[in-house]
Amino acid sequence: MADAGGNGPGEWVLLSYWLPREPSTPRISVWRKLKRLGIAQISDGLVALPADARTREQLEWIAQEVIEAGGRAGIWLARPAALAQERALAAALAAARVTEYRAVLAQAAQAAGSGGAARAATAQRLRAELRRIARRDYFPPPERDRARAAVQDLSGQDTDPDTADRDTADQVAAAVREQQP
Amino acid sequence: MRWATRASIHIDRAACAWLIGRHIDTEAEFVFVADPADVPADATAFDMRGAGLGHHGGDCSFETILRHYELTDPVLWRIAAIVHEADLDDERYDAPEAPGFDVALRGLSMICDDTQVLTVTGPLFDGLYEYHRRAMLLGREPA
Repeated sequence: MADAGGNGPGEWVLLSYWLPREPSTPRISVWRKLKRLGIAQISDGLVALPADARTREQLEWIAQEVIEAGGRAGIWLARPAALAQERALAAALAAARVTEYRAVLAQAAQAAGSGGAARAATAQRLRAELRRIARRDYFPPPERDRARAAVQDLSGQDTDPDTADRDTADQVAAAVREQQP
Repeated sequence: MRWATRASIHIDRAACAWLIGRHIDTEAEFVFVADPADVPADATAFDMRGAGLGHHGGDCSFETILRHYELTDPVLWRIAAIVHEADLDDERYDAPEAPGFDVALRGLSMICDDTQVLTVTGPLFDGLYEYHRRAMLLGREPA
């Protein structure tokens, strides 16, 4: 994996691709997948991720999808020639994640004032959202820990209903056991 | 028969190898290659870019193999949902086991070579199959 703070530029995996403008469905499908992976857009039709087994594989499958949709695609392993260039890439990726973590923080702050059930539901949804963001977070910014803490607080406030549910479940389980021969 | 796939296997390739060995070719022998050009002429490639038995139309390779060999066992399709989510994580299926399998396989690949990963994951998928087989027969989670 590329290390923005290391001694020299790390390795990146690049996907170069071209897709026909029409039909738009494959374009949209490819774009959604790239977005989910949290790619850095270098230019039109050229995206990058820090290279590791997983990022390379994911981009290779997208390359195949592009080709099957009548486009052209290539996978490249590359090292930025200058450290500054790599830092700019890493900074762009981190900035994109900061935006996502801030959205989580804002929703957590808003839900903190709402009632128990709504707050618990939001906490659960935001926890899933944090997992999704974490998978594409290659250079974790400080906002990650703040967002995690905020979601933890949100669910932590709700221990009473959780415990109540668990007690009920235990009672049901005990009742079922008694009924069994 | 010989089967070839990319080296440094993860969940999809481990699950495909199990599926092939248990349900398609009990004599299966596996070869791991770094580049598609290294696939032996007599081997069937799977989970590799360009291979027929790869990702297609949003399916992972495990699903592609199930379709190709017309395996309709619902227990295998339940495992396919787990493999799909562990590999692609696109929320097509509800498979809460997926993140656990993803981490377990990633960890295994750090301490085992590919042949060892298959040795370890064989019984794991056998157990997963048995669990979901019983769950389907019972209509609820088995003990």
